[in-house]
Amino acid sequence: MPPIFTDFSASCNLKYVKLGYQYLVNHILALILVPVMVGVVVEVVRLGPEEIVNLWGSLHFDLVQVLCSSFVVIFVVTVYFMSKPRSIYLVDYSCYKPPVTCRVPFATFMEHSRLNLRNNPKSVEFQMRILERSGLGEETCLPPAIHYIPPTPTMEAARGEAELVIFSAMDSLFIKTGLKPKDIDILIVNCSLFSPTPSLSAMVINKYKLRSNIKSFNLSGMGCSAGLISIDLARDLLQVHPNSNAVVVSTEIITPNYYQGKERAMLLPNCLFRMGAAAILLSNRRSERWRAKYRLVHVVRTHKGADDKAYRCVFEEEDKEGNVGISLSKDLMAIAGDALKSNITTIGPLVLPASEQILFLLTLIGRKIFNPKWKPYIPDFKQAFEHFCIHAGGRAVIDELQKNLQLSPEHVEASRMTLHRFGNTSSSSLWYEMSYIESKGRMKRGDRVWQIAFGSGFKCNSAVWKCNRTIKTPTDGPWADCIERYPVHIPEVVKL
Amino acid sequence: MVSPQQHHDHVYDLKLLSVGPGHVTGSDVVHDLTGLDLAMKLHYLKAVYLFSSHAAEGLTIMNMKEPMFCWCNDYFMTCGRIKRSEPSGRPYIKCNDCGIRVVEGVCDKTLDEWIEMEDGSRWNLLVYHRVIGPELSFSPLVYLQVTWFKCGGISLGISWAHLLGDAFSVSDFVNNWGRCMATLKANGSPTVAPRSQTTVPKPQPLSAKQVNHVGDLWVIANNCKMETFSFNLTTQHLSNLEDEHNPVSAFNLICALIWRSIAKFREGFEPQVVTVCRKDPNHDNNILGNTQVIRSIKADFSVVESDLNKLASLIAGDQNQGRDERNMIEASVEKDNGLTDYIIYGSNLTFVNLVNAGLYEMELKGKKPRFAYYSIQGVGDEGAVLVLPGPPPQGSTVIMAADEAIW
Repeated sequence: MPPIFTDFSASCNLKYVKLGYQYLVNHILALILVPVMVGVVVEVVRLGPEEIVNLWGSLHFDLVQVLCSSFVVIFVVTVYFMSKPRSIYLVDYSCYKPPVTCRVPFATFMEHSRLNLRNNPKSVEFQMRILERSGLGEETCLPPAIHYIPPTPTMEAARGEAELVIFSAMDSLFIKTGLKPKDIDILIVNCSLFSPTPSLSAMVINKYKLRSNIKSFNLSGMGCSAGLISIDLARDLLQVHPNSNAVVVSTEIITPNYYQGKERAMLLPNCLFRMGAAAILLSNRRSERWRAKYRLVHVVRTHKGADDKAYRCVFEEEDKEGNVGISLSKDLMAIAGDALKSNITTIGPLVLPASEQILFLLTLIGRKIFNPKWKPYIPDFKQAFEHFCIHAGGRAVIDELQKNLQLSPEHVEASRMTLHRFGNTSSSSLWYEMSYIESKGRMKRGDRVWQIAFGSGFKCNSAVWKCNRTIKTPTDGPWADCIERYPVHIPEVVKL
Repeated sequence: MVSPQQHHDHVYDLKLLSVGPGHVTGSDVVHDLTGLDLAMKLHYLKAVYLFSSHAAEGLTIMNMKEPMFCWCNDYFMTCGRIKRSEPSGRPYIKCNDCGIRVVEGVCDKTLDEWIEMEDGSRWNLLVYHRVIGPELSFSPLVYLQVTWFKCGGISLGISWAHLLGDAFSVSDFVNNWGRCMATLKANGSPTVAPRSQTTVPKPQPLSAKQVNHVGDLWVIANNCKMETFSFNLTTQHLSNLEDEHNPVSAFNLICALIWRSIAKFREGFEPQVVTVCRKDPNHDNNILGNTQVIRSIKADFSVVESDLNKLASLIAGDQNQGRDERNMIEASVEKDNGLTDYIIYGSNLTFVNLVNAGLYEMELKGKKPRFAYYSIQGVGDEGAVLVLPGPPPQGSTVIMAADEAIW
């Protein structure tokens, strides 16, 4: 009994010491300023008003000096406000909810797999193992062309899927925000694996009859992290163009990319990737400040492409039989961990409170100068953010990040539940996760959200948002009819 | 994959997909099979409904799919797959939402030409059929084929594993789909036939015959070549028959006629026992299961020389001749927990009365089918005769499909 008690009280003491230290360092300015202010006020009260006026008179200011100094002050203030980057607001976003007719239960996926790969039982076994451990649920959706035995991925079907998901998401965005198509100044569409001519952004412009002087961009080939790259691009454009609206559409079109061969390294995406899309409205207009949901605080992009192993770890190529698929290398997790470390090294100083930064700096100096064997200090990012949206790339990715960042199950709940309900929807998964947090009523004013996405290349991109107003639980949206069922317990291995 | 066509290429361009329930059924839902269900496991029902181009106007596979998901919510057990329980090996249905197999096809004939055709086996082209097994857990229980005709008409062909339910259940199944198509709403789940527990030992049924173990490939091994043919009886024929042999009903007369004809044909080997199946009058509509009354009828006299009326009244069971063998079949199967394989249709010459099965109740765009045709796939050597109603408004025309041994 005593040893446990002393351990407990020791850890308690440590906790309070830590809390005390954090409070001290993070509020140091307030803690110094308050006594100073109190001292000044006491002094002023003691001196009395006539003494103050005498003091003022004795300073001998003349008109020129006063004018010059006020001019300098005004000049400095103006320069400050002009050079401050414009605030970018996320007015609202909407996620595509696939219809039940696209639903793919486990049993159906496996049966189709067996029929499509009838000469390769080993590959079918492999797919079954992956599916059992994938963390996906029974309600994820694939596009209609993939439901056929064998799948019929024509270009027409791919365009059909693109129109279905993108137009649904955009229609929903228009309704939610009251945005008129003619008011869109910037349009960015990102879809990694389907890039027809004319582009998907041209398809959107054609459908909604957008203005002829619209600034449109189409990003392709940039993987699952392209959603945040589009946000970054929109931010840069909104700095240059005042008073503008930007719409970002993130999606991945599954139809043309369903791997039809038998190589195991290429079968994994078939098991995980599912239909999804998101449309986001960003604005730098002052008038949107009041109704915007979030404000963009930081975007940090890290590219490890200079390293050959990182470059080749997610690679689209033909297999021996000429089927095109995306090959995932075995070092994917290690490379992802590496990219993450680079990213948080950059984002850490921007978001971490002073207490964490000092600790990190001290251990860094200590390791360099005194003893390299000291454990590196992993800053506590839970101090910097209330919510985490980790790209639902797969169960392994979420597990890895949870371990590296020392997050609790509640923090990664949005990611795990999105993976369960919608599968890996690539660049739009971050928005389904945000929507989950809002639907649970957890998003309060002032909350900071960290979105992290990984993508081929190998890239790790982060975005930090600050919640502008407490968000009421939405009555529409992808989670509206199922949020009460969540969170669910996802077993390690599902029995098929 | 396109199924290879043997001698006809009239139906081509087959595309397969699966349709399941829109809602998740749940991870541990099972549908138990009764003794009677297991006795029927080697039989399959095939139903074809033909609709004219007026009814099929504007219909595409996409707008047929959405109501199907709704419909499968109610019929989730048809979307499951067979599994064997441990350790007894008794089959049951795991309701895992795997789905029914839907097949789209195109036919190069018009509806009129199709109906005029002589070949009795042409109906098989309109129903995509595969037996259950050898991999039980990957064999769909229901196949639905939608074939588009040159004139714009369509046919709906259903292949249904008899262990799920009898022909009356199939008719309800199809009629419910028609209602789902019209209203896009589910009609409420069908009532599953009660699972009775018979522990009292019963005598051996005459209508069920044991067969050699089929293992995991659920198909009947016939000792002779089986063929299907059908013929129409017009209203005139029927009213002539009924007038002559008042007051016996048309079905019993037809059965008696056929029984006597077969007895004459197989001189020396005339069938003394027949099985008669008809709808259980005590059951409401919308029941899923094997609830039809199965009676075996023994003739103590020579069938060849018998009077038609006498034979017909024997079949009708006016004086309670013949016994309802459902409980006996159930008890036989349960004796060894469903491990023995049986056949019902064709163990004796079997007559099935589908006249009041509601075959013309299905509606597409408010229009009834032009023609409905049912047959049984997998019949024992003694053969089976189905008596079907004809298309309205000539409601009393009768069409028969017979699976008969060619000696």
